[in-house]
Amino acid sequence: MWKTTATKASAIDGSSSISTSEAFTVQLLCGFGLAFALWVAKNICSIHLVTDPSNTLLLIWIIELPIVILLYSRYRRNRKHCTYLRAVGRGFVALPVGAAINFLGAIALGAPVTIQYLPKTVNWSLMMSLFTTVPASSVLGSSWADWRRIFAQTKPNGSVEYLICLPAHGAIIGGWFGAWPMPLDWERPWQEWPISVSYGAITGYLVAMVLSLGFALAHNRSYLPKRD
Amino acid sequence: MARKMEPRRKSLSGKWQYIWPMWLTLLLHVLAIFLFTRGFLLTRNELPYYSNCADISQSPCLFSSDHLNRTTNSSNGSCWTKPAITRLVIIVLDALRFDFVAPSSFFPEAKPWMDKLQVLKMVSSRNGSSARIFKAFADPPTTSLQRLKGLTTGGLPTFVDVGNSFGAPAIVEDNLIHQLVQNGKKVLMMGDDTWTQLFPHHFERSYPYPSFNVKDLDTVDNGCIDHLIPSLYEEDWDVLISHFLGVDHAGHIFGVDSNPMIEKLKQYNNILERVIEELESQSGPGGLHENTMLIVMGDHGQTLNGDHGGGGAEEVETAVFAMNFRKPASSIPPEFDSSTCRLDMDGNNVCISSMQQLDFAATISALIGIPFPYGSIGRINPELYALGARRWGLGASRELSESHVWMQNYANVLCVNSWQVKRYIDVYSASSAVGFSSDDLSRIASTYAQAESHWLHSTRKLLLDSKSGSDAILPTLKGQIDEYFNFLATVAELARLKWTEFDLKLMISGILILFVSIIFQILAILRGMPLAGASGIFSISTLAYVLLAIRACSFLSNSYILEEGKVANFLLATSGIVMLRYAVVKEKLLAESLGFLLLCMFCQFSIEVGLTKQAATSAFMKEHTSWILNITSGFPVWEYVAEVVPMLILILLAFLLYKATNRSSFKWPWKYTIRSTILSYMLILVHWIPDCNSIGFVLVPESIGRNYIPRIIYGISLGQLLLVSFGGLFEDSYLDCKKNLIIKTMAMLSAWSPTVILLAGKQGPLIAFASIIGGYCILRMGNTEGGAKGRPSSSSAIDPFRVMQWSLFAVSLFFCSGHWCAFDGLRYGAAFVGFEEFVLVRQAILLTIDTFGFSIILPVLGLPFLVATMKQANQTKDFIYMQLSQAYIMYGLSTAITTTFAILCVTIQRRHLMVWGLFAPKFVFDVVGLVLTDIFTCWASLYYFDQVKDDQ
Repeated sequence: MWKTTATKASAIDGSSSISTSEAFTVQLLCGFGLAFALWVAKNICSIHLVTDPSNTLLLIWIIELPIVILLYSRYRRNRKHCTYLRAVGRGFVALPVGAAINFLGAIALGAPVTIQYLPKTVNWSLMMSLFTTVPASSVLGSSWADWRRIFAQTKPNGSVEYLICLPAHGAIIGGWFGAWPMPLDWERPWQEWPISVSYGAITGYLVAMVLSLGFALAHNRSYLPKRD
Repeated sequence: MARKMEPRRKSLSGKWQYIWPMWLTLLLHVLAIFLFTRGFLLTRNELPYYSNCADISQSPCLFSSDHLNRTTNSSNGSCWTKPAITRLVIIVLDALRFDFVAPSSFFPEAKPWMDKLQVLKMVSSRNGSSARIFKAFADPPTTSLQRLKGLTTGGLPTFVDVGNSFGAPAIVEDNLIHQLVQNGKKVLMMGDDTWTQLFPHHFERSYPYPSFNVKDLDTVDNGCIDHLIPSLYEEDWDVLISHFLGVDHAGHIFGVDSNPMIEKLKQYNNILERVIEELESQSGPGGLHENTMLIVMGDHGQTLNGDHGGGGAEEVETAVFAMNFRKPASSIPPEFDSSTCRLDMDGNNVCISSMQQLDFAATISALIGIPFPYGSIGRINPELYALGARRWGLGASRELSESHVWMQNYANVLCVNSWQVKRYIDVYSASSAVGFSSDDLSRIASTYAQAESHWLHSTRKLLLDSKSGSDAILPTLKGQIDEYFNFLATVAELARLKWTEFDLKLMISGILILFVSIIFQILAILRGMPLAGASGIFSISTLAYVLLAIRACSFLSNSYILEEGKVANFLLATSGIVMLRYAVVKEKLLAESLGFLLLCMFCQFSIEVGLTKQAATSAFMKEHTSWILNITSGFPVWEYVAEVVPMLILILLAFLLYKATNRSSFKWPWKYTIRSTILSYMLILVHWIPDCNSIGFVLVPESIGRNYIPRIIYGISLGQLLLVSFGGLFEDSYLDCKKNLIIKTMAMLSAWSPTVILLAGKQGPLIAFASIIGGYCILRMGNTEGGAKGRPSSSSAIDPFRVMQWSLFAVSLFFCSGHWCAFDGLRYGAAFVGFEEFVLVRQAILLTIDTFGFSIILPVLGLPFLVATMKQANQTKDFIYMQLSQAYIMYGLSTAITTTFAILCVTIQRRHLMVWGLFAPKFVFDVVGLVLTDIFTCWASLYYFDQVKDDQ
């Protein structure tokens, strides 16, 4: 079923551009995946980000992982040389690599390095990797120029790239702001690493998803007449 | 602006056209800080003098031995005043609010925490009892330590009590406890261990309990209870002090309106009931407590949230309950009675008087009959003093009324009191640099002279002439007492003005001058050329301003100040990530950017280690255990590595320097400077090797190595600095300006580095290496930015982002090297590297170099690298100097802005709970840092800027 839609999409559009409704569906599914993960954590496993950040983050990335990879692999670049399965595989490879980058970034910015925080930090970086590198890797593959254009220059080109670029930036910036309340002496449990940062990242991710929909819409509007 | 500046630039010749803004900034900053500090940091000198019994002969008053026939026997152990009580029980209830003690009918509304200490009210309202409740006013700072100091010394402790105890909290000033011990009284203490810190050797016996854990409501109190009641049966003490902490802790954790608080108060009520019962039962004639006085008091109040420290009404208002167990003396004359009486809920008439805590030490000394503490400026409180007044009534067998006898005695005691206060004020003003103003002194002197002449000419004669009738003497006595009151009130008022009240006008004018200096600095940056990167709102220089703004605003919260190192590192890493983005875009210098991020990680580690050290000494920090410490303490291999690695790195540094000198063609002054630095490094190695247990051989005799090698290194550094300063005379004409600048900077840095590394200890080489790497990365990455525009910028000025990064990195280094903004964060050991004995100036200089070496001295002196490594087409001397001056002003600006915010924060939070614990030390560090930055900038400006002979 996935395959048929994928071929249909590629038949309509050779480049990696998607229609507005599809973009909406993708983002909605990603958002629902996140909500579902939080719901499972709360009602089935009866854990919460505040009480058990490590396992909650684990649950989030495990549930979100298939959704993101399967969805974004549909919009892979260079369809002729790259099968759907290969795109999925790229996504899985990108997960630990992106997690390592996020891990190092978090440590540089001041995440605690004690042993007791290690599982939390690892799970957090896996989640961040899912927000940032996994979709990009499924879609773009190992094209260094594209990666550079999207992540270093923030110049997305085409509606799919908007869907990759903006949520990734949103998650990182949200996480960055999420670290701000950590030193305050309110003595709330959510001020612990990585809870507030995860909240910030998820919020940033969701906000940027909505924004990216808007951008994709605007991009499609300006693109449609030309195609006709 | 530019037009206005034009004539000025023309009129200034040579290098001064570049550097005058820095000197003006220095002046402005010094002025602003001087004004602000005068208003904010109240200081008081501790005098090393102690009162003695014999001193009384210098006073004009009637002392016991010549107190004529009224005294039955002069060998009753009396000293300055006749003892009225022989034993004293002081129960201190920490953070006792006034409304815990006073009946709720004194307040508009009854609250759940009122009327819980019923027993005090009952006893004081009982007919014929000599017990009284006082509303006591504490003086800020209302923290336990300062209050205990104030209560025992009778003075007004300030934040900076300049004295002999540097670091240790023990009170060396003359105080009540010292006088008690001096005069053969035995003091028994139980409860809060702050007392044993303040008076380490004074107590006959003590049962201290740790006051550190705020969450523990009971340990201290239970310890007190265990020892208090049994002690009441013992004879081996004269003064018993029992300090309960539960109410303070309950307030901090739960607030005043909470069940634990009410439970605590009920518990206290029970204890007090038992204590009063025990004392009463033994107070009969010949009983153990015949002449015992009980005092139940708070050291300060608290707000409803349980905070204290500031000068708010809830914090300064506390209570004193005093009770004498003999049948009472007749009431004191009504003009000295300040009490207000009301019926409480049960219909008892409760009277409450008021007193100042300042008066406590003097009054208690007078009651026990010991000399008043030398620095006491309190007045003997008539009502509290009257509670013990029965004793001397017995001696007077005349027909004089009791209140009359009391007045005679009180006038004499006040005479002693006033004489002692006057003596203190005179000696204080003579011995301290910032004493009272001459106006104030003359006012004090004139009021005292008036009272004294009145005493000498009329009252004294009347008192000695016992035949005179009571009618004649009464108005004279009253007048005399009023005059002494007047004098003592004047002194107390002036002392409060000087030692407890911030001078807002001075503080605000200091802040305004700081703002003027900031505006001036901004204009000075803009004077020559427009700022770089003004291309768009999302340019990288905007980020520099944003980072600066975040850092400055973070000082408005105590939490961010506490974790300032982490905040600085967070911002530094953020800037590093942004640089990495640029590097990826340009596809060059990726290694440098990544290296910089790795360096941020290293900084992060060492800041965390620093925080662990801080946690060990500071009550604010929670416990962090760092894995680095765990590892080093676990395995001997790591200890070995930890000892060897710094030495290897030092050798590496020396090698780098050697290569640098070999490669380029240096003139001899520079060359020899840098070569001798290598020699210094080797000497440091030799100095460190004996420390190293695992290497285990001794290269030099211990005694020589310990002190002489550091001194030789200091000497070499001084020589290098001299050589470098006069090296400008051997001007290279063929070298271009940039190369010259680089060589000069290198020479200057290498002259300073051995001293800084030596003082920093084993971590020194690591941090030096880290700063070299960090500096190198910042320099290289700056060039990415320059190249980003595609053309070597000919007109653009220095990039604010690099300067900002440079300064953020410097701040991070401060915290990396194990410092933090508190006085226990100073590494006092560094002051004694190479010297055994203490000489204030020398040791202060060493301590300053250790504290600010990596974070101010080296970064400021190394700043020319930023300019010299920039790629641009315009190579004229004028242009480069203009850029250098701009870079220096920009660096100064970033320091000035953060300091201004720290000062603003101190001003806003001056009544905050943690003002003395947190904000004031931060203020001191920032201010010293700002002035040092300015001084080194000015010095650098003299050194780096050559005369520009002609316009090239």
